[in-house]
Amino acid sequence: MRRGVTITSVALLSSAVLAAPPEHRRNFVACPIVRDTASVPCWLAEHDGELYFLTLQTDVSAPVTPPWLGHRVLVEGTVAPNRDPICGGIVLDPVVLSVLPELDASCNTAVLPAEERFNLTFEPPRPPGPSAGRLAFAPAPSDAPAAAPAPAKRFALRYDFDGLVVFRHAAELTAILDAARAHKARSVAITAHRGAVLLSDGTTLTEKPGLAQRRAEQLATLLRGAGLTDVEYRVRFDDTPGAARGEDDAALRVATVELLP
Amino acid sequence: MGSRRQHHAGLRVLATVAAALAATAQGAEWWAPGDGRPLPVEALYANTSGALGILNTAGAIETRDHPFFTSLGSNGRACVTCHQPADGMSLSVATIRARWEDTQGADPLFSGVDGRNCPNLPAGDPAAHSLILTRGLIRVALPWPPRNAAGEPLPTEFTLEVVRDPTGCNTDPVYGLRSAQPTVSVYRRPRPVANTKYLTHHNFGVGPFIAKSGLPAFRDPDTGEPTSMNMMADARATTLKLQAQDAARNHLELTRALAPTELERIVAFEQQVYSAQAYDDAAGDLAGPNGPPGFGPQNLASATAGVLGNNTSRYVFPIGTTWREPSVESPDTTHAARESIARGHDVFMFRTFFIRDSMHLNSVGLGNPVKRTCSTCHGMHMTGMDVANGWMDIGTTNLPWAREAPRNPWTTETPQLPLFKITCNADIAPHAFLGRVIYTQDPGRALISGKCNDVGAIVMQQFRGLAARAPYFSNGSAATLRELVDFYDRRYDIGYSEQEKQDLVAFLGAL
Repeated sequence: MRRGVTITSVALLSSAVLAAPPEHRRNFVACPIVRDTASVPCWLAEHDGELYFLTLQTDVSAPVTPPWLGHRVLVEGTVAPNRDPICGGIVLDPVVLSVLPELDASCNTAVLPAEERFNLTFEPPRPPGPSAGRLAFAPAPSDAPAAAPAPAKRFALRYDFDGLVVFRHAAELTAILDAARAHKARSVAITAHRGAVLLSDGTTLTEKPGLAQRRAEQLATLLRGAGLTDVEYRVRFDDTPGAARGEDDAALRVATVELLP
Repeated sequence: MGSRRQHHAGLRVLATVAAALAATAQGAEWWAPGDGRPLPVEALYANTSGALGILNTAGAIETRDHPFFTSLGSNGRACVTCHQPADGMSLSVATIRARWEDTQGADPLFSGVDGRNCPNLPAGDPAAHSLILTRGLIRVALPWPPRNAAGEPLPTEFTLEVVRDPTGCNTDPVYGLRSAQPTVSVYRRPRPVANTKYLTHHNFGVGPFIAKSGLPAFRDPDTGEPTSMNMMADARATTLKLQAQDAARNHLELTRALAPTELERIVAFEQQVYSAQAYDDAAGDLAGPNGPPGFGPQNLASATAGVLGNNTSRYVFPIGTTWREPSVESPDTTHAARESIARGHDVFMFRTFFIRDSMHLNSVGLGNPVKRTCSTCHGMHMTGMDVANGWMDIGTTNLPWAREAPRNPWTTETPQLPLFKITCNADIAPHAFLGRVIYTQDPGRALISGKCNDVGAIVMQQFRGLAARAPYFSNGSAATLRELVDFYDRRYDIGYSEQEKQDLVAFLGAL
């Protein structure tokens, strides 16, 4: 634990002096803003005098899920070239959003009312009410492969900043469980990491010390709890924060699970 | 089991006598343990807005010596005591009061173990039974900290203190938190034991990991398969067998385990009994062939369980088109009532509002707030339950939203329910919407999971037979369907019009 803290301090200091993300990147922490429209609301955030579009409300199948009022959000995005603003915001795409765990009363703002000028100019993936019968980002039935490929033996689970397993990991954990049984795995190697993010202002935001261990141990506990008990678990973790570059730093917040014979 | 047409015909015939049944006082159809009457294939029971239909798809039930209908434990109760056919296999407070009057409080329903506010209070004193008499609440005593199946204490993410204890049970030296066997007493409504295929489905949303948290789902000890965890308010028992054992031990005071043959008969009965409103005093026959395809017990029995209805291809409670069109066969008043129910359906499905700060809804990828409709959460086809593991905190038990008596020098109303202070540990993330300190009347799922994020999260109930089993919510805090609608209107600042409220009440009452 002490070693991890020491390394974090060095990383913060060095990054503040030497580094900055690539110019097209926008990495920042802000209160989210939600603006209603004639259809679904859109999510925005201000940074350095600009308003950015983060995502639309869709459903649980969305690759980017909206932030929460009452919490700050870590935005890790790329300015999408040649895209018209959405809801008045510069479009970040791709973008990774992490709701920061602690409550922040200053982020408890009102929903901005719908304005004609900010209404969507396209059909959203999912209306605000009932769907037409399928999730917004579920593959169409015709897209399903004729034969399922052999299950993977190596999985990478990404986390929200300072986060552990959440709802969206249920499907990934199920895939691991199914694959372990399909491959008759006798050993499960789990390696978890702790991340850091180089922000646009040149500072580095580092995840809490000890998080790599908690991530690794939690995965083993959950897989055991789901019935994968007849395997050997090799649980490893590296609490040294990954080197943040300001580009795809979200990939540093990861745990890998490897199924071994 | 007869054909669908035969059942429809039977219910339609029965519906014609509903007007006569409506004159019957509620509570007159009480089933006492050992009654011995057969429960017919179809039965119709009057209630305040029409009549409830019961359908036994396996045929008439011979109740004599049937373990669901027979006193098994030491207190004279049977399962049927709290799961009455006339009350949609639940128990309304109107029935409870009638039973109190009829027996001067001597019915086994009012047993000290849970029919009194605390077992140490004097039997027969209405004040000692105030929660069951005014809100229809049964005491549920749970160990603290929670324990696993082997009886070992589980780690918890929070500390629990008693702030207010109007029943005296949580601070009692024998029954309370500081007793030799530390126990939390919370007070909850009995849930309907009908339409159970929807409570135990293995369809959409049920997997080895809980879709809302990624944590392992509880598995059926008999099959090893994950369960939907959608049956009890806190999901502590997730199969019909486990629930029956839990209830026999804690509510019937049975000191042995139910025998396999008893369990099989109880579960077999529970798997074939369906319950829904079948007749509406204003709108007429709900269950006939021209009625809405989602209404009545027969449609419940024949539909697929565990599928999403929050869509325009299936709908949660399909209402069809017939009732939206003028009918020469129906009087104007009947047509007006049907139009109201149809409008209520549309409010339920399509009226958007911002859902905010609701744990296990806003926290599962939809954002906070999310602009959606009633059917977003109440999305299971035919029941309006959650398809996935369905505990959620909408504020029925957690402050600041839970119903509390106003505190001022001019009121005589006093708090009825206990109040607990929950302090989430410093080494975990705080509750996403309530922070580290939470005040609650019932910690709900958290009393089983020990998780801070589960405080006040309650498994949502099915929407069927509502007219027969007021009051509503797990703590009986909504005395009527109108109060239920008003709660949501306040909680989410919806701004329903008076017409929308009336239509929603008409719709819910017809389910």
